[in-house]
Amino acid sequence: MSSPQPCYHCSLPVPPGSRFHTAVLGSQRNFCCPGCQAVAEAIVDNGLESYYQHRSESSTNPDALPGLIPDELKLYDRPDVQDPFVQSDGELSDTRLLIEGITCAACGWLIERHLARLPGVSSADLNLSNHRLHVRWDASRLPLSELMQSLRKIGYAAHPWQADKVTEQLAHANRRALRKLGVAGLLWMQVMMASMATWPEFNIDLSPGMDGLLRWVSLILTTPIIFYCSTEFFQGAIRDIRTRHLTMDVSVSLAIAGAYVAGIWSTFTGQGELYFDASGMFAFFLLSGRYLERRARERTAAATAQLVNLLPASCLRLDAKGNSERILLRELQLADHVLVPPGHLIPADGRILEGRSSVDESLLTGEYLPLPRSPGDHVTAGTLNVEGPLTLQVDALGDDTRLSAIVRLLDRAQSLKPRLAVIADRVAQWFLISVLLIATAVGLAWLSIDSSRAFWVVLSLLVATCPCALSLATPTALTAATGSLHKLGLLLTSGHVLESFKHIDTVIFDKTGTLTEGRLTLKDIRPFPGQDADRALAIASALENRSEHPIARAFGHSPLVASQVTNTAGMGLEGMVDGQQLRIGRPDFVAALSHGSVPQPPTAQGQWLLLGNEQGPLAWFALDDQLRSDAPDLLAACRKRGWSTLLLSGDSSPMVQEVAATLGINDARGGLTPADKLAVLQELHDKGHRVLMLGDGVNDVPVLAAADISIAMGSATDLAKTSADAILLSNRLGSLVDALDVARKTRRIIIENLAWATLYNGLVIPFAAIGWVTPGWAAIGMSISSLLVVLNAMRLTRLPRPQA
Amino acid sequence: MAALYIMIPVAMVIVGLAIWLFFWAVNSGQFDDLDSPAHSILFDDTEPFADKGNRDNESRPADD
Repeated sequence: MSSPQPCYHCSLPVPPGSRFHTAVLGSQRNFCCPGCQAVAEAIVDNGLESYYQHRSESSTNPDALPGLIPDELKLYDRPDVQDPFVQSDGELSDTRLLIEGITCAACGWLIERHLARLPGVSSADLNLSNHRLHVRWDASRLPLSELMQSLRKIGYAAHPWQADKVTEQLAHANRRALRKLGVAGLLWMQVMMASMATWPEFNIDLSPGMDGLLRWVSLILTTPIIFYCSTEFFQGAIRDIRTRHLTMDVSVSLAIAGAYVAGIWSTFTGQGELYFDASGMFAFFLLSGRYLERRARERTAAATAQLVNLLPASCLRLDAKGNSERILLRELQLADHVLVPPGHLIPADGRILEGRSSVDESLLTGEYLPLPRSPGDHVTAGTLNVEGPLTLQVDALGDDTRLSAIVRLLDRAQSLKPRLAVIADRVAQWFLISVLLIATAVGLAWLSIDSSRAFWVVLSLLVATCPCALSLATPTALTAATGSLHKLGLLLTSGHVLESFKHIDTVIFDKTGTLTEGRLTLKDIRPFPGQDADRALAIASALENRSEHPIARAFGHSPLVASQVTNTAGMGLEGMVDGQQLRIGRPDFVAALSHGSVPQPPTAQGQWLLLGNEQGPLAWFALDDQLRSDAPDLLAACRKRGWSTLLLSGDSSPMVQEVAATLGINDARGGLTPADKLAVLQELHDKGHRVLMLGDGVNDVPVLAAADISIAMGSATDLAKTSADAILLSNRLGSLVDALDVARKTRRIIIENLAWATLYNGLVIPFAAIGWVTPGWAAIGMSISSLLVVLNAMRLTRLPRPQA
Repeated sequence: MAALYIMIPVAMVIVGLAIWLFFWAVNSGQFDDLDSPAHSILFDDTEPFADKGNRDNESRPADD
């Protein structure tokens, strides 16, 4: 096989002798498949070819998008179907679509431009961070189905998107947090100007009238900071005191409220120091820390909360006369008869009435090969019908399906998730206790020395020891680390994962799709004597190109064309290539064509396919679900840390033991149901182990949700992604090895930050206790310590380049 | 010094305006997507037919 040239559109290899090319940007470009060619032509025809100049990533192969069903799109034109996700105000309709296939910023440009050219479209805005497209268009001139179809033409799939409650609440909370932060920042600056003028350090010769005015101005400007911006600290403090738990919130509330109350008193009496700016500073710094953390977490939650692909949107219902009609999934009833064409997802649990096929259950069970199914067998919603059309009788729908049972198991699993202690909380607890004790002691001492100063000394002590830097220590480090990990291809959805890596002692892996590629690849070709391997591959690919079976994808595209291809479910394919009658598939099926004896596969391992013609067999093809090339490195990294490794798979084939042996995994168990996996995890938890889980399928979801730390593959099902703490976007296990280093470094920086913040607060106590700390010094000390913490955290953004 | 008796109230009014403006910006979704606008300015210069087609999207709808 010659070195393949990458497809101009999607960068997949172009098969030799490809017939797919078109002119883009002034020169002739080659494409891997008719899909890519058509997309490129559509882009060029629209005058948008500068997309190819702008893009920084290769585009998605259109074949990788979910299959397009024209009837299904037509359903979206029905008003009752549109009702939940399309708003109409007079002439224009308004909707949000979730776009699949976006790889870089240029995609956003392409989509917006392309839609703006369509007749009837008034505006199109794509949000690149959550891949949601907001379109306003004239539905009388352009039906929604055509709009979606035209997106498909340029290589993107659109799904209707509806804000669920959780997403809406998140968006609301985000805006509220931002408003509070902005108000705190703007007002703090004003308060600082007004109250600083009253400080003796600046030595401004203020008239008593002006002094009084400035105090009143500060009071008025600080009030919104307290009652609008700082409410969450007070609420947190009240909650924590009720649960007899001393946290950062209690400490912060004491300082903010103390400074405010003292300020009111000093405003009314015109005496004493003004600490209003400290209230503003605490509120602003602490809110910034929280907002940063929220932002880092939010980005990931938004990108992953997209549960769209588990079940098809529509299905084909058969009426009594056997006529099929496309209906929405929610219109389907129990005992209905449903036709599932090959290549389509099965919409409901059911029993096969007619048809033979094989069903790909890999996401649900972890079995990596499709299993043959015939009349009378039961099939599960969410699995893929591979070979032939099936007629089903619906047994279970919606909440009663096996898929939903797994989702319910998820709810239970989430409650099992152990809460890992956050370092900062523990530090805060003893810190607060000591500060309160010291403050009481100092207060009592000053009462006997000079009772008029006692209150001000205690106040300055509380303000100067406000754990502002301490509260910033963790969020800043986590935010910086989340950003760098994102660049490495690991997306964190829960920041505290980084802190807890240290406690892990056991790793559970899933096999299919996690340690292995999750798809069959061609491993070996063994031609029979006198046959040419390249020629045999070309013929085999031509035949397989006509099939939807996962095996077919292993063969790639062929320059030859096969005709009259027929599929015998569970046996193989038969067809004509270059005037030859050929068969590929199980040895007995292929040998039957030449009426010869059935040859034995070269080895017992893996999956062997035979290609033969009427004269006899031509070649053997070995297929295998290959290990990811960086799996050994990951295992080595795990061993280096002294973690014990465990492989839990739903696959019952000997592949499980084989993979475990190759990678040197301590223990491997195959043929497990999701509930079994969860039981294994609980057993480990009971023995006191801390578990990291790496998985991808729906069957891993409960374990992902219950593990101490869970990481889902980027190619995982949406459900797996939403229940994991982190997502390996790049699918490169090597990134995970790098991520482990970042996690260790993050923990170190958090500890450094905490140590620095505690040290600063500890050092300032003696000075505050003898009454030397004035509002001015408190402000300087506080800003410097907070700044140091932030700068220290910034070191996490400078990462060594990941090893190529 | 006397000028301050006027300037301070003026400053407070300006802060009030700034906060109002900020609230408006947040509520109309200006801060919801911080990624796309940063990229989109890079693409506009090589647009071959910028004013072809029907583009009446002057008013971006509020995003909430």
